[in-house]
Amino acid sequence: MIAFDFHIVLPIVGVAFVGGIIGLDRTAAGQFMVSQPIVAGPITGWMLGDVTTGLVIGAVLELIWVLDVPVGTFVPADSSVGAVSATAVAILGSGGTASPDVSGFSILLTTVMVPLTMMIDVIVRKQNSGLAEYVLAAPGEDVSRRLALAHLSGLVIFFMKSFILYLIVLPAGLAAVLLFARMPTQFHSAMALFVKLLPLLGAALVARKLSIRTLDHFLLMGFVTAAVFTQFIHIPALSVSVLVIIAGLLGVRLSER
Amino acid sequence: MNDDRNKVETSEMLKVFWKSFLIQASWSFDHMQSLGFAYAIQPVLRKLYPDQAEYESRLRAHMEYFNTQPYLASFILGAVARMEQDRALGRNSSTDVLSLKTALMAPLGALGDSFFWGSLKPFSAVVAVSLLMANAWWAPIVFLILYNVVHVGLRAEMLFHGFISAGDAAELIARYHFTKMAKLFKAVSLTVLGGILGMLPTWRLEFKMALPLPSAVSTFAGLLATLILVAILRRGGSPVKLMLGLAALCLALAYGGVI
Repeated sequence: MIAFDFHIVLPIVGVAFVGGIIGLDRTAAGQFMVSQPIVAGPITGWMLGDVTTGLVIGAVLELIWVLDVPVGTFVPADSSVGAVSATAVAILGSGGTASPDVSGFSILLTTVMVPLTMMIDVIVRKQNSGLAEYVLAAPGEDVSRRLALAHLSGLVIFFMKSFILYLIVLPAGLAAVLLFARMPTQFHSAMALFVKLLPLLGAALVARKLSIRTLDHFLLMGFVTAAVFTQFIHIPALSVSVLVIIAGLLGVRLSER
Repeated sequence: MNDDRNKVETSEMLKVFWKSFLIQASWSFDHMQSLGFAYAIQPVLRKLYPDQAEYESRLRAHMEYFNTQPYLASFILGAVARMEQDRALGRNSSTDVLSLKTALMAPLGALGDSFFWGSLKPFSAVVAVSLLMANAWWAPIVFLILYNVVHVGLRAEMLFHGFISAGDAAELIARYHFTKMAKLFKAVSLTVLGGILGMLPTWRLEFKMALPLPSAVSTFAGLLATLILVAILRRGGSPVKLMLGLAALCLALAYGGVI
C-alpha cells in the first residue's frame, strides 16, 4: 500500500484524461465499445503497468453490466467509470501489482458509486437541452456555424463530466484503500473471495436477460460440452472455448430443423 | 434543374458517414439526437441547396425531435439524403421527408436496440470473457473485432442502402434478417456462457477457488450457484443489490471461519 504523495497526482490526472476520452465512446462519439469494461479495464491497467488486474476487473464488470443498455431515455450505469476507477484504485492503491483482495474491494467501492455516476449522467443530459436551444433561439444568424459549435460542445461536456468525476472518485477510492489496509484479515479474505464469485453473478445476470428459462437448454448444452472436454478429455481451455462456440452454432442449426 | 448540383455524390455520403459517428454528441432528454441528425445530414443539404436561405431552412427543419438506435440512424440518414435529393429535383415535398424520418425512427430504434444492444453486444462480450477465462490476454481485441466488423460494416452499408431504397424499411428487415440473427447470437451467447461455467476448474488463476471438492463437483456447484442467482434475479433485484449481497455473504463466510 502507498500513502498519498505528489507522485500519485500524475497517474490520477493521466487516468482521468484517458478515462474521459474513453467515456466519450459510451454515448457521444463512435460507440465502438472501447468504453466497455473488458476493454477500458485493460487499457487502464496497461497505462499503470498491470494489465492483468485490468483484464480481471474488466471481465467481471463486463458480464455484470453488459445487458444494462440505453433504451429510450433510460441512462444505464456507467460501467466505464466503474472499470477504469476500480482498476486504477486497485493498482495505485497497491503501489504496483494489485492483489485479489484489493481488486475485490475496489470493485465494491465502484459498485457503491453506481447511483452517483448515473445521477451525474442524468444531470449532464438535462443540461444538454440548452445546446439545442442555443441553436434554435437565434433566427437569422449563421445556423450552420451555431449548430456545429453547439453540437460539438457536447463532446467537451461529456468529456469534462467523466474527467472531473475521476478526479473526485480516484483520490477518494485511494483513501478508502488506505483504510482497507488496516482492516482485519477476515475482511481481506472476504474481498478475495468476492472477486472469485463475481463471474458467477455476471453469468447469472446475462442468463437472466437472454433467456426466459432459469435453465436454458443452450446454457446446459454449453455447460455439458465444456465440462466433458475439460474434465474427461482434458483438452486445453482455449480449445474448449472454441469448441463451445461451434457447439452453439450447431445447436442453433439443429433447433431450426 | 436536373443537373449534378442536385445530385448527392459519394463524397457527401462519406462525409455523412463520418459525421454519423457523432450523432449523439449533444444527446439530451428533450431533443435526443436532433442536433446530431442535423449535423450529420449537413453535407447533403449544403450540396443540394446552394441558396443560403433555403439551406438554412432545410437545416432547421432537421433539428426537430429525433431519436433512434444510433447505428440504424445511418439507414435513416441515407433515406433522408435520397428524399432531400428528390425534393431538390421537385419530386416530393418537405412533409414527405419529415414524415419518413418520423415513421422510421421508432421501429428502427426498437429493432436496433434488440439486435445491437440485446444480442450482438452480449455475444461479443461472452465470447471474449470465455477466452479471457482460458487465459487469452488478447480477448478484448477479439471483442472489439467481433463487435465492430458487424457494427461498422452495417453502419456503412445501411447508409447507402437507405439512400438506394429511399427508406424502404420492409426491404431492410428482409435483407438483413435482424430478428433471426439476434436469435442466433443469443443462443450462441447462452451456450458460451454455459461453457464458461463448465470450464470452472480451468479458469485463470485469479478466479480459481481452492475448494476441497473433486473438480466435477465444484463445476456442478458453480452451475447450481449461478442458477440460484438467476432464480433470485427473476424475483427482482438489481446488479448493485446483488453485488452488495454477495460481498455481505463473503464477509459472513470469512467471519464465520468458513474461509
